[in-house]
Amino acid sequence: MACATNVKSVTVIATEGLTKRYPRVTALDRLTVDVKPGVTGLVGANGAGKSTLIKLLLGLSSATEGGARVLGLDVATDGAQIRARVGYMPEHDCLPPDVSATEFVVHMARMSGMPATAARERTADTLRHVGLYEERYRPIGGYSTGMKQRVKLAQALVHDPQLVLLDEPTNGLDPVGRDEMLGLIRRVHTDFGISVLVTSHLLGELERTSDHIVVIDGGRLLRADSTSDFTQATASLAVEVTDSEQQLLEKLTAAGLTAHADGRLLLVDIADDDSYDTVRDAVAELGVGLVRMEQRRHRIAEIFRGEGAGHDNHTV
Amino acid sequence: MTTTPSDVIHDIGYRHYDGPRLGRAYARRSLYAQSLRGAYGLGRSAKSKVMPMILFAVMCAPAAIIVAVAIGTSMTKLPIEYTRYAIIMQTVISLFLAAQAPQSVSLDLRFKVTPLYFSRPIERIDYVAAKYAALATALFILTAVPVTILYIGSLLAKFDFGDATSGFAKALVAELLLSLLYAGLGLLIAALTPRRGFGVAGIIALFTLSFGAVSSVQAVASVQGSESAIAWLGLFSPITLIDGVQTWWLGASSSYVDNAGPSSAFAGCVFLLVLLAVIGGTFGLLMSRYRKVGLS
Amino acid sequence: MTTLSIDHVSRWFGNVVAVNDITMTIGPGVTGLLGPNGAGKSTLINMMGGFLAPSTGSVTLDGAVIWRNEQVYRQIGIVPEREAMYDFLTAREFVIANAELHGLANPGEAARKALATVEMEYAQDRKVATYSKGMRQRVKMASALVHEPDVLLLDEPFNGMDPRQRLQLMDLLRQMGADGRTVLFSSHILEEVEQLASHIEVVVAGRHAASGDFRKIRRLMTDRPHRYLVRSSDDRALASALIADASTAGIELDWQEKALRIQAIDFGGFTELLPRVAREHGIRLYTVSPSDESLESVFSYLVTA
Repeated sequence: MACATNVKSVTVIATEGLTKRYPRVTALDRLTVDVKPGVTGLVGANGAGKSTLIKLLLGLSSATEGGARVLGLDVATDGAQIRARVGYMPEHDCLPPDVSATEFVVHMARMSGMPATAARERTADTLRHVGLYEERYRPIGGYSTGMKQRVKLAQALVHDPQLVLLDEPTNGLDPVGRDEMLGLIRRVHTDFGISVLVTSHLLGELERTSDHIVVIDGGRLLRADSTSDFTQATASLAVEVTDSEQQLLEKLTAAGLTAHADGRLLLVDIADDDSYDTVRDAVAELGVGLVRMEQRRHRIAEIFRGEGAGHDNHTV
Repeated sequence: MTTTPSDVIHDIGYRHYDGPRLGRAYARRSLYAQSLRGAYGLGRSAKSKVMPMILFAVMCAPAAIIVAVAIGTSMTKLPIEYTRYAIIMQTVISLFLAAQAPQSVSLDLRFKVTPLYFSRPIERIDYVAAKYAALATALFILTAVPVTILYIGSLLAKFDFGDATSGFAKALVAELLLSLLYAGLGLLIAALTPRRGFGVAGIIALFTLSFGAVSSVQAVASVQGSESAIAWLGLFSPITLIDGVQTWWLGASSSYVDNAGPSSAFAGCVFLLVLLAVIGGTFGLLMSRYRKVGLS
Repeated sequence: MTTLSIDHVSRWFGNVVAVNDITMTIGPGVTGLLGPNGAGKSTLINMMGGFLAPSTGSVTLDGAVIWRNEQVYRQIGIVPEREAMYDFLTAREFVIANAELHGLANPGEAARKALATVEMEYAQDRKVATYSKGMRQRVKMASALVHEPDVLLLDEPFNGMDPRQRLQLMDLLRQMGADGRTVLFSSHILEEVEQLASHIEVVVAGRHAASGDFRKIRRLMTDRPHRYLVRSSDDRALASALIADASTAGIELDWQEKALRIQAIDFGGFTELLPRVAREHGIRLYTVSPSDESLESVFSYLVTA
């Protein structure tokens, strides 16, 4: 059945003190992180850190210090084997304009070692899974950005990898296209059973699609945790009403709750479960409408606050 | 008794692949085949077939005409040596190279497809070797088919079998060397720039300018009476290099001014070494060119 | 206070109508100009910045026409989308050059202040060629701020920035808006606009689709029921109490989320009903969450209108 997971090792990517230095900049600095099966979001500085990491993980570049293992294989010695089991979707445009999606993906499948018949069949299936239908027979040059991104994803999936590296997959897509791509990424894990490492600088997207988040800043690991840890509920309730915020604030304070205003919202400290009822009753008594009552959650973005300035004074 | 089929929804969800995964050799072959077909516009749009097919026809037509004339006017042997054909038609060969070498590699560079290749279980040398071999094969086909036409014509006209066969064989060897030399130079120039137009121009420039320069200086040397200079000058353009090698090593008659090809074993060896060095050198430079491209 | 007025403006390029009869007012504070790719945002910003003239209509700043009006240019700073810069200059040289072009009395001092505002002092003496994308963006901003304009226009300023750079820029823009400047930035990334702009202008295919606070815009979308997610101590009882009232059109028990999904056709009526009914039946409310009030939902509605 389609949902069987195909991941053999508990850790999908494991780096150990991984360092890569270039003459003018240190792209990765003693990075030690474990990436578990599932969808993992990678956030961090543009340019050097991210692309260097991908090259290292695919065995296409060698580390200055430290090492890494992908799917249990050593990146320094087993590069080709890793590349046979990993799919890569680059950030930039990478499709030739004069061939059709079908032709291109079949060719790429064969370059990954699939025999001709398997390549054809898997291409047809994969293009269907990513949502390309009749378009697949037309030259890629005429595709919209959304369709091109799907082709890029298809060539990363066609050889049935155990892990796919998606570099900014929603780049250039409009909001509807983004939504579709994010849904597709989720499906790659939940329906196809393939682990995903996705990079993005849009934190909201990552909060929605990823199970784990890895934050890299200046080549160093800032934090790696499950998404739910990053977005833990706080002990604060956000309340929004249609009118009379000031009076509500006074009523709640009078009832013994600690609360303050934050723009349109009232933030109420949750003392115990009765706090919910206190809020409800206060709103009902005032006869105003209750628009929102939610526990505030932490956001990934908070991790970038309170860090020292001047982190991007490396020359990339 | 017939069993009525029960109602069922088939699972057409994602299937994993447990079949064989063939190795680098297979991938190389696939890339080789695809690039070779691409050199003749097969598997691509109609527009990309025009140039190579026309050049192929132009390349073969004289051979067919020569055969027809030889038979028609009852000659006893072909009016030209087999080994001369490629030299005479060198412009057509250069044009083919100029058109198809960029086709092979510039597109990949321009549209940044190369990173996708390298993210697969192949090494740099697989990509370079496959492209190189494919273009060399395409050039070999381009040069071998005409001389094959000449050979078949000779057989039909019942010219001397031994002569014809040895001439044919020599031409094939020379054309193999030519294909390798031209493919290396053409790919190197084309791979230096993602703009196809620059690649085309660069290749044409290299081949025609070098030939033009060498011929002119050879003519001057001829006027000066310096036979050995004529020979040595032949090192400096691809087609004259081939001509020199086949003159000494295959006994072909030289196309140089005054027939002054390399005339000593030493010269012959130098010519051959230079040829092999250029072939090896271009391959090596291609390899290092693609090291930079990598996953950028 | 400075107000940009766009009055029945259209701009075409041959047969392509980039901006189609748009009227809007941009006042002090931070405004987000939102729209899909190719909607005409850049064209609008270029007209507001004096780089383009409108084909019809007028673009004015406090009543003065902007096009070819040098006096008005002094009050406007524009940060365009293109990245091209003079790589061989240092940041300080570039900003000073801009200051001199504006004819400022003390270019060096103005440049220093501008660079300090964007926190680029530490790198101001290195060549621009060595900068990251975020740093270049900040240099562009400094050069747009050096003459201390009241109006700042930014075209897709967050393009490609990483989260830290984006936060820094957002803080900066928020501060400028709070200082009373008129800040307009364009984007097609809703997440960014949501966090920064109190007021949005939506442009779709050259037409002006909506204006205002996106939550209030959502309330104006009356032909679309509001969707709510509610978690309580007794979902079924709450559901049956709510459906009895005309303000709800549909209630679904989402057994996977363990919540109620409610479609409310009368926003005002429903929001007042909910706490009242919950209190009457002694049901505790844990979560009341509007599930389509996001800018994304508002935006997709406007785009398909």
